[in-house]
Amino acid sequence: MNIAASFTDISKKFGETSILEDINFDVSEGEIVVLLGASGSGKTTILRIIAGLENCNTGKVILHGKDVTELPARERGVGVIFQNYALFPQMTVEKNIGYGLKLRKKSKNEINKKVDELIELVHLEEHRQKYPSQLSGGQQQRVAIARALAYNPEILLFDEPFSALDAQIRQKLRREIRHLLKQINVPAIFITHDQEEALEIGDRIAVLNQGKIEQIGTPFDVYNKPSTEYVATFLGTANLILGVVNNGVFEAENIDLKLTDDLFFKNGQSVKLIFRPEDVFLRHPENLTQNYQKLIDGWIEEISFVGAFERITVRINFKNGQLITFTRPKTETENFPLQIRQKLEIGLVRFRIIPNFPLTHERSAKVY
Amino acid sequence: MSSVRHVRGFDIAKPLSIFTMVGVMLPLILLPLASIFIYGTSSGLDKFWQALIAPEAIFALQLSLVTSFWATLFNVIFGLFAAYVLTKYKFWGSNALTVIISLPTAIPTAVAGFSLLLLWGPYGLLGRFTDQYFHIMFTAFAIILANIFVTFPLAFGVIKPVFETMSQSLEEASATMGATRWQTFWHVTLPSLRGAIVTGALLTFARAIGEFGSTILVSGNLASRTQTAPLYIFAKFNEGQVEAANAIAIVLALFSFFIFSVLFFAQSWLDKK
Repeated sequence: MNIAASFTDISKKFGETSILEDINFDVSEGEIVVLLGASGSGKTTILRIIAGLENCNTGKVILHGKDVTELPARERGVGVIFQNYALFPQMTVEKNIGYGLKLRKKSKNEINKKVDELIELVHLEEHRQKYPSQLSGGQQQRVAIARALAYNPEILLFDEPFSALDAQIRQKLRREIRHLLKQINVPAIFITHDQEEALEIGDRIAVLNQGKIEQIGTPFDVYNKPSTEYVATFLGTANLILGVVNNGVFEAENIDLKLTDDLFFKNGQSVKLIFRPEDVFLRHPENLTQNYQKLIDGWIEEISFVGAFERITVRINFKNGQLITFTRPKTETENFPLQIRQKLEIGLVRFRIIPNFPLTHERSAKVY
Repeated sequence: MSSVRHVRGFDIAKPLSIFTMVGVMLPLILLPLASIFIYGTSSGLDKFWQALIAPEAIFALQLSLVTSFWATLFNVIFGLFAAYVLTKYKFWGSNALTVIISLPTAIPTAVAGFSLLLLWGPYGLLGRFTDQYFHIMFTAFAIILANIFVTFPLAFGVIKPVFETMSQSLEEASATMGATRWQTFWHVTLPSLRGAIVTGALLTFARAIGEFGSTILVSGNLASRTQTAPLYIFAKFNEGQVEAANAIAIVLALFSFFIFSVLFFAQSWLDKK
């Protein structure tokens, strides 16, 4: 795959405070990379550095092989879709879309042709003469995208583009935009704090925490094979059990779990077992065939109905009486109803072992 | 309000409060305004017209229009510039500058005229050196300077808040799309300020054309040379020519009425786009 953009060793400080540290990643041609992080994780700063709206202290921004680190925003040819879309309120949809071409001194004909093409692409035919204030949020967003596409940008940058929209419209637009980006094959970087959005829209996700990339990978890998506790807990719910590894076996009080992969831990190393609520398996005589490992016994503390599935809290057979949660789909809840205080044998379909760093800052070189 | 009786959906508070409001305004605002129209036209429209086309009267009106125009032009451009600088850049003393720009509103106009005299007059701080080359005081320039001084904060005061609330991302979007600072200012920033600029200009102009206190000190009040319309009213009234004064008073009153109507109706139209 061709590399469209790469960012190497980018760091940024405000005074003594480190905002970004050693940010490294690439975006391939036509790829969508999501920068996922909580507020204050530095994701917006990365976007602004790529766009040229902010400087970095070290590192390089390379767009299609060209080092643009020292270039001002206007010479980078980057398309930014701002959080509030930043459409020019005094210009019609057409004028907004044509603005980038007008600045590039293109002829009237050329501008009109391109604007027509883009209006058709984003389906705004009957709105071309309207002003931004007369459009819905979703329509404004499409104008913002068309406006950025007009001058064939090196890369598209989306700054939390869905945060101003209703939850329902959001889901629909996500799919539309992903579809559109795949259709036109332009590389894009999305920033968001919404893990569901990240999983749905990204080809790859980079999870940011306190100015560092914790993990970068496909949505499947980041979700199912988190490499740090932060990633595991940020992308959905996760159960954590502290233990040690000995000869390829995870040991903790009454637990002995055979590791199937990632056998690079030293004997006696302190680790954490991580598993998602949906990866817990309850043994029933009817479906013993499923491939799972027994974890431990436990007693049901609480059962709650959460729409599409059932969430169950279980006190496992540990001295400290630790709780874990798991979920069951509707089909199972109907066939095998459970009661509070019922004893269960808990198995795991999928789990993950990560080294145990109890505190975030032990992992990063810097103490905040 | 809940103590007011509602009788079959009729709220007595409404006509009562409107009546009180108009009752207060009548002797204080409405009657004085009405009287200049009633008196000015009482001896016939012909007399009124004669008073209006007297050469001195026409000159005074023209001088007022021209000096107010230049003062407005200057203050709108400078106000725009100052608002840009003070919102864009934060620097040591920027708050003090904002206060200083706004100061002329609080200074009595007679003091403003007096201070200009002390600076540019023949024996003034700077005037004593420059007076042998050119005169500023007692010319139309002095009137423009006085107008600039007293209307200084008006356009700035209208434009700056609009600048402050304008989303920074608009300018950033323009920059990422390839615009230079100047192009961004011209295509993006300025159109957003259109309403504020028009409002600021009209306010400045309306204020400048009626300026009296500072003008009378710096202009010399010479008929057909440095006499503006308000000075003309004052001079004619002192001479006992009430009709002549009244004719110009009507013109000025109508003019302000016109400007404020434009302000009122144009504002919403300009803000929409």
